[in-house]
Amino acid sequence: MVRRLQNRDKSALSYLYDKYNAALYGVASRIIKNDDVTEEVLQDVFIKIWNKIEMYDASKGRFFTWMMNLTRNASIDKLRSKEISRSSKTDSIDDYVYTFDRENSTEMSTDAIGVKTLMDNLVEDQKFILQKIYFEGFTHTEIAEEYGIPLGTVKSRLRSALNHMRKRVA
Amino acid sequence: MNIEEYISSGILEAYALGSLSSEEMKEVEAMLAKYPEIKAELNSIELAFEDMAMASAQAPKRDLKASILDMIEEEAPVVKPQPQAVPKPEPKVVQMQPSPVWKYAVAASVSLAIVSGYLAFDYRAKWQNSSQAYAQLLANNSQMAEQYNQVNQQLGNLENDLAVLTNPDFRRIDMAGTENAKDSYASVFWNQATQALYLNINSLKELAQDQQYQLWAIVDGVPVDAGVFDWNAEGLIRMKNMSKSAAFAVTIEPRGGSENPSLELMQVIGNV
Repeated sequence: MVRRLQNRDKSALSYLYDKYNAALYGVASRIIKNDDVTEEVLQDVFIKIWNKIEMYDASKGRFFTWMMNLTRNASIDKLRSKEISRSSKTDSIDDYVYTFDRENSTEMSTDAIGVKTLMDNLVEDQKFILQKIYFEGFTHTEIAEEYGIPLGTVKSRLRSALNHMRKRVA
Repeated sequence: MNIEEYISSGILEAYALGSLSSEEMKEVEAMLAKYPEIKAELNSIELAFEDMAMASAQAPKRDLKASILDMIEEEAPVVKPQPQAVPKPEPKVVQMQPSPVWKYAVAASVSLAIVSGYLAFDYRAKWQNSSQAYAQLLANNSQMAEQYNQVNQQLGNLENDLAVLTNPDFRRIDMAGTENAKDSYASVFWNQATQALYLNINSLKELAQDQQYQLWAIVDGVPVDAGVFDWNAEGLIRMKNMSKSAAFAVTIEPRGGSENPSLELMQVIGNV
């Protein structure tokens, strides 16, 4: 797939869109929480995938992870550039999960589990770390410094949070 | 090195989410190359991300595929934020209640009225100033957001160019001006292993609206189309993949390119 994209094969991008648009849209919309802006970002993301494909290095990770991080970074950037018009910066994760489920319950396909279900079992500490790192783009060091949590704890909480969520989809 | 301890520290999750410093990233990459168990664990973490994203997928309301495919023909456009409407606050007028009692009271009331009137006037002027300043700030802010987006986009393009330029697998082939255009000059960057081919314009003359430059690879003595580009394209331009070529040359062709090169209009040429 990557090779086909590097060969400027547009049908590969088309296939990629069919296969991943909903997954990446989900990733972006959970950060942005606004349909129009999310669509704008998703469009940018696919164009970035096409333009930056040369930068993907298979020895450093899976292609999906690369796309997912491109999507997260583009979403977080977009949010930061629009920060002033946003009053919901301090939303707790429950608020946002609630918004997500309520706003999209009609469009979600029936087999989608929903992020709320995935995060059901997490304790508050884990949710907080996940929110800061995954959804707001903080680095581990930033969280450790800003909230006075030891760096090792930040990492291990993220790992346990993800392990819990992994079990839900497995 | 205790591999289990390393894995359970959570550093691989952090790595996969790109939230480590570049130094830490390098360390993890070294570990990945050294220990297959660590590589396997990273892979399963990444698979979990993918599974979770798939499980919580959500289709966009509009189908964006057609517009994305259209846009990759062109340079991705810069997203311009809509300027925000500035609410104009209504000026408030303070109503004075007449209090007709005794002399002193009247005198006091009159002074109070004068003072209040003055203050009301003064505050209104201040209010107007600050609401102007606020509108100015909002405008500045949306301008900053726009510039931020532009710079971000340029940075993305530069990162990609840099990845090509610093990649030792890319060979640089300079193409010098021909008799037609002695001052013209362009280069191609070619990775024979992946076949990727980029072109950089150093100096090519301006073309009419209905014309484009076309790059040719000379394969076994025959010119093969390697893609067209505009005279004012910036940065490294992605051209068609080439597995072999003895030389590269650029000609002027009608917009969209030709099947065979107009050799009399050749502008630059360079041997591999």
